[in-house]
Amino acid sequence: MYSTIPIQRQWARLAHVCRALSSLEGHKLPVGRKSIDGISPPLRISRSPTDILQALAATVGVDPTAPHYKYHDDPFLIPQSNYRKRAYALSAEAGRKAATWIRDEQAHLFTTREWDPPMKMKTPYFNADPHIDAFTPRPIYNDESKVTEEDLLYTINNALLDDAIKVYQLLAASEGVNDELKLSLLQLLCFYNEKEPIGAEWLEERWFAAATRERQAATWKLGGLADKIFASMDPKTPEAYCTLIQGMAKYYQAERAHAFAQEAIEKGVPLSTGVYNSLLSCVGFLKEGTALRIEALKGLLTEMSDQGISPNADTLTACLRSISAWGGGQILQTIALQIMAEFKELKIQPSLSAYYYMLCLFCKERGQRIDILTSILTDLENRECLEASDAMDTHFFITAIGVCSDHLQDINLAERVHALLMKDDNYKLVGDAYKESIYYRHLVTVTCRHAPFEKTAQLLDMLIPNIYVPEPSVMEEIIKTLEVAGAGDRLAEVWSQLVVFGLAKRIKIVEQLLNALCQCYTYQDDEIKEKIRNAAADMLKFGQLIEEQNENRRTPTQQLSATALANIIDLCADVNDKADPSWEVVGEALGRLRSEQAVGVPDKPEILASVAKKAANIGKPGIAATALTYLAECGFEEATKACVETLGVMLNRPTDEVQTLLQEPKSALVASLHPSALVIAEAFHLAKTGAPMDSSSSDSDSDSSDSD
Amino acid sequence: MSLFIKHYRPGSIFKKQILWRLNSSVAENHESEEEFRVLDILKKRDKQQKRVARRIDVPADRAEKMSTDQNWGNVWPGPRSFHPSTVPLPIRQGFVPKGQVPPGKKANAELMKIPNFLHLTPPVIKTQCEAIKKFCTEWPKLLNSEEAIEKHYPVEVITSDYCHASPTIRNPLARVVTLRVKLSTLNLDKHAKDKLLRLVGDHYDEKTDLITLTADRCPMRRQNLDYVNYLLTACYHEAWTVEDWEKEKMEADMEYYDWNNNQSKKNLVNWYHKCINKDIALSEDEYKSFDTSVIDHGEEYKLAVSSLFNDGEREETINNYDTAVRKLLGLPERKPIE
Repeated sequence: MYSTIPIQRQWARLAHVCRALSSLEGHKLPVGRKSIDGISPPLRISRSPTDILQALAATVGVDPTAPHYKYHDDPFLIPQSNYRKRAYALSAEAGRKAATWIRDEQAHLFTTREWDPPMKMKTPYFNADPHIDAFTPRPIYNDESKVTEEDLLYTINNALLDDAIKVYQLLAASEGVNDELKLSLLQLLCFYNEKEPIGAEWLEERWFAAATRERQAATWKLGGLADKIFASMDPKTPEAYCTLIQGMAKYYQAERAHAFAQEAIEKGVPLSTGVYNSLLSCVGFLKEGTALRIEALKGLLTEMSDQGISPNADTLTACLRSISAWGGGQILQTIALQIMAEFKELKIQPSLSAYYYMLCLFCKERGQRIDILTSILTDLENRECLEASDAMDTHFFITAIGVCSDHLQDINLAERVHALLMKDDNYKLVGDAYKESIYYRHLVTVTCRHAPFEKTAQLLDMLIPNIYVPEPSVMEEIIKTLEVAGAGDRLAEVWSQLVVFGLAKRIKIVEQLLNALCQCYTYQDDEIKEKIRNAAADMLKFGQLIEEQNENRRTPTQQLSATALANIIDLCADVNDKADPSWEVVGEALGRLRSEQAVGVPDKPEILASVAKKAANIGKPGIAATALTYLAECGFEEATKACVETLGVMLNRPTDEVQTLLQEPKSALVASLHPSALVIAEAFHLAKTGAPMDSSSSDSDSDSSDSD
Repeated sequence: MSLFIKHYRPGSIFKKQILWRLNSSVAENHESEEEFRVLDILKKRDKQQKRVARRIDVPADRAEKMSTDQNWGNVWPGPRSFHPSTVPLPIRQGFVPKGQVPPGKKANAELMKIPNFLHLTPPVIKTQCEAIKKFCTEWPKLLNSEEAIEKHYPVEVITSDYCHASPTIRNPLARVVTLRVKLSTLNLDKHAKDKLLRLVGDHYDEKTDLITLTADRCPMRRQNLDYVNYLLTACYHEAWTVEDWEKEKMEADMEYYDWNNNQSKKNLVNWYHKCINKDIALSEDEYKSFDTSVIDHGEEYKLAVSSLFNDGEREETINNYDTAVRKLLGLPERKPIE
């Protein structure tokens, strides 16, 4: 051309053009990574528009300290409990919904489009700002709106079911609808059973939607619009038959579905594999009894082969679905295995949902232990990628981990399942929020029970609280594990976790935690001991706070039991400094015990006796007196002995002298003894005789003498 | 309210109070006048008095939970404004009087204002480069120096991409396309070169030998790129065509002073012939093709006159002319003026 580029390069260019042309024709030449002549650039490596973004995103791993990215990364806004996680995510989505609602209601306000690039609007046809359908207001249809077939097509394509019905009714009243559109509408109605689905853009709503199990009852709307449209179609095409039969079978209108299928066969209408799959999945509704049902199933399969219809992976799933719904037992299990073998011959890979039904069939809670999970996992691990093809695919992982935890109790298998879930982007198969939490419940439980402690701790650190917040039952399991491992440090942290997870009001867990703390308190480091004491003190404080908050409410608040309070006293009394704030906590707890704000009586009264002695020893006679009075009032045997010993410590006299001293009448004691000692003497009498000392006694001022 | 104002008499404190009460739902001094108590429907007072101390359970900063061997790229994967609870660094920033410590990272707007590059730490850049390496092809081996690149790829296209946060991601300046090419790399003869220079006008820079074409008239970059390519192609081919009227080019149309074609040469040749006592009448073409090197200092004179006309009158060129003329005529050298 016009420049002095060497001829060699021109040849390279020509080659380039030739290659481009040849790849256009469909013959792809191998892409060279090297330049041909050392000057012209090599051919570009083909990539999709998002490949680079995906490659960059793949470099980012999981940060266990961070919340999910849908939440704000700020300590005040990171949700720490299941309730808050749900509330925050749904609130954000409610905001988006409100915005959409306003956009749809006030559609006339949202017609302007940004003129891009910013210039004068001289060229009305040129605007680089892309037109995004999702951002434009949805049309609203009512009885007055004038509709055309295009509107119907739009509503059907966007799965706006209610709108589609409205438009169809309007159209049918005026000009009628052509058969093609009728068929599409019929397909839409049959797929959703005339119920408006949750929009695809409401991710959070779908994620948190209560995962109630689908009712296995005939929910198909008999004589509904779908039936009417089908009746009005003439001639009835095979597609229409297939659609209607599949819709009926999907919503358990089994008998009519089978009747229609018979009718179609008699008329010579060809049916699809999908129709047979749906018929197979509801074949059990026709017959009673396992033998008859199996016969019907086999009959349908032979009918399929007679018609010359080849089965696919969904056929296997449908068969197993039916079989697993009929209960358990040897016969059904054998049939399931036979079908699996048959499909293996046909080189049809079972889907995740097929495996789910197999697990349902074989791993019953009260059945024999059958390990089919190992072979299933081996198969799945060897697959390149797991694709979701059926709605029930998302049930596989929770069932598999549940089998590991309850049925097989095998930590190695559980780890394999978890590794499979974490591989590539298999995590999409976890389903929804409900299934995810069940999954982690099983995983944490089986890990706590069967894994070595280091591994458990690692898993807990990884999961809690951002990925998973344990439910009460799992929390108990965790506390048990920590107690066995003697991890005082972690146990002390569990209390603060309980508070933020919203579980601190559950007295059962708190009591279990206190027990665990007491069990492993003795052999901890001093630093951890202090942490544990603080946690115990905080538990008491938290209880009081809750009570204050709940004063006006009718529902009574649960209170810590006497044993738990005694545990708190035991933990907090382990300080040798008189001025330590722990003593205040001890006093408070004793006060609650005495004023009968606790349920029951302590399991181990000797704790209180030893605390009384210790209190007397370091100069807290008030606390000692209260403890002993409580013991005496409850009628524990230890009370007398403890009284004598404590008095001995207080008055610094041997036991005999104290005994004789206690025999003296009260009037003499009043004169000679310190008020706190007097209270202890009274407690002694109470414990010994079961009645208070002769003259009027006062116990109210026992606390006031703490200062000396 | 107007009712009360109408009946308002100076000195009547009682009514004043009523007036005030009706406007406010909260009666402040109702202890003194029990009979005029205001019904407090919303119970604002009671609510205000009872203030429940709520326990706020704010978790600790997540920076404290981070392990020292974590992968920072996972924590801060993308650009984001600074957040103290996420960054485990004891950063301080802010202007303070001398001798004071700048404020810490918490609640520090100064740290949030400035853009940070916490997402582009060296290890992250390294891993990202590794990740996208699979889309890269090898650099051609022979293009190992600037000269080689210039030689094989003489055409240079300059565009700018803009990245900013605003409702639209497009910037009108991104459409501007500049094309640069060295004149010497184009395959041109003398005529074509002259014509091209006349066509491109001031788009040619003599110092760098670059022709620069810029287009911003179309709304899209692609269109502008096509347009500059078209401009270069059109100019190049136009330069090679010779039109009929180009033969009518006169001495006055010359873009530079050609000594051979001018009167100065004729004068020199005539003078030379007179000096050697030859009387020959020469034609136009003979004058043009006359070899001046036979004349003593003739070449020098030619260069001096050409540069005087082509480079313009400057002290240097005039001095050159002066010396050339003195040498030619055998005059003594110019004495410096004292």
